[in-house]
Amino acid sequence: MKTLKRQFGISRKLLALSVLAAFGSAHAEDEEIEQLTRPESSVSVGVGAASGDSRDRAIYGQYNGRRLEGSNLLLDIDVDVVKRDDTMGLWTNFKGSNLGLDNQELNFSQNKQGDWKYSVDYSELVRRDPRTINSVLVNALSTASTVASLATPGTGPNLNLDIRRKATSLSAEKWLTSNLMFEASVKNEDRKGARLSGTGVACMPPGFSSIPCSTITAAMLMLPEPINSTTQQFEAKLNYSGEKYLVSGGYYGSFFSNANGSLSPLLSGNLVNPDGTPLDTTVAPGSTVAAYLQQPVALPPDNQAHQLYVSGNYAFTPTTQATFKYAYTHATQNEDFGGAGLTGAPAGVSNLGGVLDSNLAQFGVTARPMAKLSMLANLRYEEKADKTPLALYDGAYTNNLNSSRKLNGKLEGSYQFPENVRATLGVDYARVNRELPVSTSSIMNTTLSPLAGLREETRELGYRAELRRSLSETINAAISYGQSAREGGGWLSIGTYNAAGAYPVTMVDRKRDKVRVSADWTATDNLSLQFMLEDGKDTYTAPIDKGLRDTGMKSYGIDAAWTLSENWKLTGYVNQGVQTLHVDHNVGYLAELENINTSVGVGVAGRPASRLEFGGDLSFMEDSNRYKQSMATGAAIVGGGLPDVTYRVTSLKLFGKYALLKNADLRVDLVRQVVQFDEWTWGYNGTPFAYSDNTTVSMQQNQNVTFLGASYIYKFR
Amino acid sequence: MKFTAKSFVLCVCISCLAWMSYVRAQDLPEQVNPAASAVAPASSQSAAPVPSGQAVSASNRDAVCTRCHDENEPKPILSIYQTKHGAKADSRTPSCQSCHGESEKHLHGDAAQKGRAAPDVLFGNKKGSSGSFLPSAATAQNEVCLSCHRKDASRSHWEGSTHQSRDVACASCHEVHTAHDKVRDKRAQPEVCFTCHKEQRAQINRASHHPIPEGKMSCSDCHNSHGSTGPKLMKRDSVNDTCYSCHMEKRGPFVHNHEPVSDDCSNCHNPHGTTAESMLKMRPPFLCNSCHTPHAPVQPSLTGQTTPSPNSPGWWNGAAITQGRACLNCHSQVHGSNNPSSANPAPLNLFR
Repeated sequence: MKTLKRQFGISRKLLALSVLAAFGSAHAEDEEIEQLTRPESSVSVGVGAASGDSRDRAIYGQYNGRRLEGSNLLLDIDVDVVKRDDTMGLWTNFKGSNLGLDNQELNFSQNKQGDWKYSVDYSELVRRDPRTINSVLVNALSTASTVASLATPGTGPNLNLDIRRKATSLSAEKWLTSNLMFEASVKNEDRKGARLSGTGVACMPPGFSSIPCSTITAAMLMLPEPINSTTQQFEAKLNYSGEKYLVSGGYYGSFFSNANGSLSPLLSGNLVNPDGTPLDTTVAPGSTVAAYLQQPVALPPDNQAHQLYVSGNYAFTPTTQATFKYAYTHATQNEDFGGAGLTGAPAGVSNLGGVLDSNLAQFGVTARPMAKLSMLANLRYEEKADKTPLALYDGAYTNNLNSSRKLNGKLEGSYQFPENVRATLGVDYARVNRELPVSTSSIMNTTLSPLAGLREETRELGYRAELRRSLSETINAAISYGQSAREGGGWLSIGTYNAAGAYPVTMVDRKRDKVRVSADWTATDNLSLQFMLEDGKDTYTAPIDKGLRDTGMKSYGIDAAWTLSENWKLTGYVNQGVQTLHVDHNVGYLAELENINTSVGVGVAGRPASRLEFGGDLSFMEDSNRYKQSMATGAAIVGGGLPDVTYRVTSLKLFGKYALLKNADLRVDLVRQVVQFDEWTWGYNGTPFAYSDNTTVSMQQNQNVTFLGASYIYKFR
Repeated sequence: MKFTAKSFVLCVCISCLAWMSYVRAQDLPEQVNPAASAVAPASSQSAAPVPSGQAVSASNRDAVCTRCHDENEPKPILSIYQTKHGAKADSRTPSCQSCHGESEKHLHGDAAQKGRAAPDVLFGNKKGSSGSFLPSAATAQNEVCLSCHRKDASRSHWEGSTHQSRDVACASCHEVHTAHDKVRDKRAQPEVCFTCHKEQRAQINRASHHPIPEGKMSCSDCHNSHGSTGPKLMKRDSVNDTCYSCHMEKRGPFVHNHEPVSDDCSNCHNPHGTTAESMLKMRPPFLCNSCHTPHAPVQPSLTGQTTPSPNSPGWWNGAAITQGRACLNCHSQVHGSNNPSSANPAPLNLFR
């Protein structure tokens, strides 16, 4: 800002122009102004190399196309072309990133400002599962894979799973009049690939099931879920804006189509049980265990939803405004069971005939009745009516319907007191009404159902208060406290009302307390700091003392930004968050889970020379999970308890950009990522967790990768 | 002597500028043509408001500002002409004074104040955002932006939204005077959001995350920071409706539904990232045990910690419910099963 200087001196521009006029043309300044005022386009061509193999890059390369063996050397092209026709106000944009790679994105759009606009997008994204599977599964990515056993875990070929998304979208908008606008968009996404999944069977004690313990104990198979699906979304709406209001009315349709109906594995070898003991060496296709495990697994069914809505706002006065929305959604699911390869449906039933009708209504008002007082009230009501017909799907029991009504209300007032103090008080209310299970469902008829208690209604009332104060021109601070209590009606006890009962965490009584303190301090013109502290606790109360008992969270941190000079800026942060969770099981074990997350980062951005730009970020994050198991009886915990799981990631990202010419830069990027993942999900202490066919899954626990890339950037207007 | 020298310099300047005005008018954007302002006495260019409807472009009116706030500004103010706000063919685009106010005292001085007075409206969220001046109140800033952008349906629920009621100014997130507004760039946007949302900054760096650090997703893919009818400023009407826009296969309804799934995906998942797989809030069986306490009556343990008898009457061993996919080793259809069969392993229990 130089306005103060301007008062007393001669403009630098005047001097510059004088000198230029005296000694040459004004071409340099013309160019400078043009650079500042005309949209810039660029084309970047880069080449990069990543170190290590696919196991070193497992986490680093989940989404960036740098996971596979062949991706050590990459060619990357980015294009960003922006053209503006100043006479028509017509913008033409073409943007492409990661062109030629499997995560490429393309966009073309044209926009006549204030009149019309359209945009075409195409994008690809591959999500590579960081885990590597070792298995002799045949046709592993099909709906009919053949399970063959490995003699020894880890001796089979490796298999890496990925999900490939290809999305195309088209959107357009047109101002039909100065007040009326039409918007429409279409998006199609195809997904192919597979994700980790599986199936399993366990013997059941008498009275639960017909699978006898004398035959098998448990068998589990890793079966990738094959994915070949399409999602489509269509939206069209009209927006009308008047002097005091805006109204939008539209249609939103979303459609899911799955080419795979079910997954039917075929067993062709002996199995072992989960602890490695041979399960039943006589097992062969057609035997009992094979018959169980070869049952088809249902894959996600086609489904669709149509929504009509009207939404907008209205200004009663300049200081009193309302927002509103009403939406009606009709969702259906009628995938043909037979077509999906699924049998055993009740007689005369060929599909679920699922129908879910939803109504959503929202109304909110904000007002400033006095200059220093702001108020808001908001009410939201959502009703889901499950109109799916009932049928006896489990022999004796019908499917269960899933209807609910939710009411949320909010009331808030904020007053500006003297001394720059602003106080806010708020009340929040939430009520949920669930449809009781139908009398013919298994939930109502088996004492061994996984659920033992349900609540038709829960209500939650919360209060919160906040004080914000500008302590000076350079310090703003805020403290807030919130408390809420959830309770509900009587419990519908389905099973035996005892310590073995289960009470869903979404339904049990909950008391919540949360406090937050924050401050922004602009210490000097060049240094600003942010402080934050949060503490919260949820306490759960159910008719029994099992299940989730309490959770807690603490978070604190400091962020800093320091402008060293006109050319150099430093940033840094330190944050730590602690989350705790206390869950008890009716078998008698207690777990005090604790997650400690520590993040530290520093960044630098600068211009060491007029033609050189430099930036760097160094960050470290440690996420540590502790399990702290114990037994209510005081007995010893199996194996001494679960070890900690720790995830550490250190990242260094550096870039330098050198202006070779006025319209060409050379950019060099260096990324170094070191990951340490000490966990036991798929193996512990050198012993892998093996499926019944000795399939194992693993991920290298220490991953180091260095990526070096260079790109040439050509800029033009 | 000093007077003569200064007068000489000024005369040279004015002469040169007169010549420059001719040269530069040929190809410079009209709105930054300094000649229009620099050669004339300041008094004649005071920020007289241009009556609406008068055939004078907003860019011409900018001359009163750009004569000082020129290309030498530390922050490239003129870059606004690279943006849609600077497209002169659009009659709706604002002039400097449309947003910053007529700012008479800033232009002509205020006898009651030492130094240059601040413009009427200054944008930003803290001291330093607008040079040495303090930014205006968030409501005053936002009113300027909304005077035009109120017509945008995606901002219909700004009033009453969390950001509005917490006095977040548009300029807290948006940079208007630059062609590259970080918050509108998918790759750079999270950096802006993380200025306040620190917890999420840490979470996206966990092993299981959406492709936010890789620049393939941004916060606004799920949240509408300008207000919505959903909780947590969800883009769609609810958490689930937002998740379904990409994960539609989880929508059902199924023959066998799992109530917490259709209630709220965030009952089990933390979409910002977790160390547990599939962005689960915590590892099964502990997650599942939060509700299903009578189930899996064995202690969570690992292969190698213990070797239970394969023929023990228990249905599971500790490793089978703890390692691999834990409870999901068998209950693989935890989002719901559309299998109509009653045969074991029973779909009723979301086995298949």
